[in-house]
Amino acid sequence: MDGASNRANDGASDGGRLDRLVDWLPTTPLFKFIAARILVPIWAWRTPVKRLEGGPRPSVQPGDNVQRMMNLVMPLKDKSAVGRALAALAIAQNKDEIYAGLDNVGTVHFARFVIVADNICMFSVYDGDFTNYIRDFIVTIGSVFDAVVGLVEGGDKVIPSAERVDEFIDWVHDHDLFQVSDVATDILRDQEAVNGDTGAGNDDLRKLPRQLILQLNVNRNVSLGSGYRAYPGYSAAQVRQQFGVGW
Amino acid sequence: MSTAFNPADVQGNILRGYRKPRVRYLMLEVTEPAAARRWLTASLSGGGVPQITTEEPWETKPDTCFNIGLTYQGLQALGLPAASLASFPTEFIEGMSKRAVKLGDAGPSAPENWDKPFNQPARIHLIASIYADDVARLDSLQRAVISEKWGLKLLEPARDGCCFNADYVHFNYADNISQPKFAEIHGTDSYQDWDSQPMAPLGTVLLGYPTNFEGLTWRVPQPEALGHNGSFNAFRVLEQDVVGFEEYLTSAADKLLVHGDADKLLPPGDEAKIGEGLSRRDALREVVAANMCGRWRNGVPLALSPDTPNPASPVSKTNFDYDAKSRCPYGAHIRRCNPRGAQIVQRVANHSRRLVRRGMPYGPAYVYDPSKPRDPNEPNRGLLGNFIGANLGAQFEAMSCDWLNLGLQDPRVTGSNDPLLGANEPATSWFDLPLPSGEPIRLRGLPRFVTTKGGAYTFLPSISAIKYLGSMSG
Repeated sequence: MDGASNRANDGASDGGRLDRLVDWLPTTPLFKFIAARILVPIWAWRTPVKRLEGGPRPSVQPGDNVQRMMNLVMPLKDKSAVGRALAALAIAQNKDEIYAGLDNVGTVHFARFVIVADNICMFSVYDGDFTNYIRDFIVTIGSVFDAVVGLVEGGDKVIPSAERVDEFIDWVHDHDLFQVSDVATDILRDQEAVNGDTGAGNDDLRKLPRQLILQLNVNRNVSLGSGYRAYPGYSAAQVRQQFGVGW
Repeated sequence: MSTAFNPADVQGNILRGYRKPRVRYLMLEVTEPAAARRWLTASLSGGGVPQITTEEPWETKPDTCFNIGLTYQGLQALGLPAASLASFPTEFIEGMSKRAVKLGDAGPSAPENWDKPFNQPARIHLIASIYADDVARLDSLQRAVISEKWGLKLLEPARDGCCFNADYVHFNYADNISQPKFAEIHGTDSYQDWDSQPMAPLGTVLLGYPTNFEGLTWRVPQPEALGHNGSFNAFRVLEQDVVGFEEYLTSAADKLLVHGDADKLLPPGDEAKIGEGLSRRDALREVVAANMCGRWRNGVPLALSPDTPNPASPVSKTNFDYDAKSRCPYGAHIRRCNPRGAQIVQRVANHSRRLVRRGMPYGPAYVYDPSKPRDPNEPNRGLLGNFIGANLGAQFEAMSCDWLNLGLQDPRVTGSNDPLLGANEPATSWFDLPLPSGEPIRLRGLPRFVTTKGGAYTFLPSISAIKYLGSMSG
């Protein structure tokens, strides 16, 4: 891939016939097949890539520590309409507890439950540290978590959450989607960090597509960016205070 | 699992302070696991090494005390099996340096800027703490701790702490005032007079007991003999910029002298209430210092005495709370770190992030002299702090990231950092001094007064756990 793009640059002045050929080749079914089915597995085999951790990037900026995104994608054990209905029921039955939880935890802006294919997804926007957020929820409405997580593959070993707080938090964190940075060099930095490479960063952007593809090869579901806000970051309590609805 | 409390099974530096004038921390690397395991056994049964001080009551205070903490790498180096290692909490496994951003250890406090030996965290396996009355005793105890035959190597330099003025610490505040109290240790008699906070359940500091959260239990590292009665410690080397702190108080006082609302903060003529013979500027310096901490420098809490450090009828230093009318700033250091029963955003979190703090200053006492320029060779000063709790994530880290920095607990301080300990940047930092009317005067430009120079998360094993570790084979 690096070589191909080099050649395209080198050939920029030769009238463009070679350019067009090189640009056209990857659009052909044969090349697509070779890239996805042969080239990527070979890359992945030659360069094992660790799965990057889910959740927002650590930051000391206050604005980065409010309105953070959690994107849980959890595969249901029962992959049938009945299984999906059970998940829907688990949420509906606990609606009041969920509101009570939001009220008492105090750091959550929104929480949404979505079924996508055979996954129950929980997307939320929260303030502060992830583990505190989950721990406070376990304290408040752990039973709701238990009802949902009990329907998910691998969930049985971390419930009841109140008795397995540490394991539960780790498990949820493990299901939180990696948030692909929208800054190209950060993607390279993330990849270096997960490989324990603390040397000077290599900002060769030609590496970017390869790094991204290899990461997406081990991380099938990701969040693109960390959520986009229409206004600067405020905590849920700041919003409530400003609107005079109590916090 | 037995929940009956056996003090002889618990290391002695967790539930009480020894109140020895000197402490030394030895950061040790295990070079020969088998020898180090024999050393652990010997630390309980004589055999030429200092004996671990336990929580057993003593009639006369021993001349010296000795305790140990183990890092995750230390447990690994001693040969603890993988299944057991995996039963420790994630934050302990990752270690303090990996959790840096969460703790506000960025910029000058970032682990890449830490001093020796903390710049090589993976080599720190064991932190031994020795307590004595004088340096000679510390030296002889140190010689007894480290010897080649025990397979332990000292990672230089050791760290010495020393009381220089009773309970006063750098920045010249009285410390050692408030700690969680436990029914099993301190009894319940007269607790109500001591503190309006609920008594801390033993699970606040020891593994295997009910926690601050009803119905919630922390994972006890396995096997039970290893985890039960253990605790976790965040050991921190916190350097304090004593000159910068005093200079900031002066600059804040100078701004207040020309501030239109400063008369509401300190009515003219009230300077003597702050301290006899103080100029208005010096009185304002003390008002700012008291607001930043939440206590006057003599330890009197603003919550009970907002206008003077010397109230006509004495007030408790520990028995207070923050109601809606409290004149203790929402952002004051002691209120941020423990909002007690105050209204906070995370309603379930009141009283839940409490820590046992055992600290001692390092470096000589500092006396501020405004007429002298800053000495470029000012000696290093700071605090060797131990922040102890049964769950680092739920207590030390939770307090550090959401409360000490960020200020999530109250929308009126969200976005600001702790004025004393926080990761402040002068360009963006602020701190509100509340006026009796409730409206604040906002101070800006606070620099970082405290810089992290090192630290480690350690597991404080019980006596049974030390036996267990000493008896491992392989």
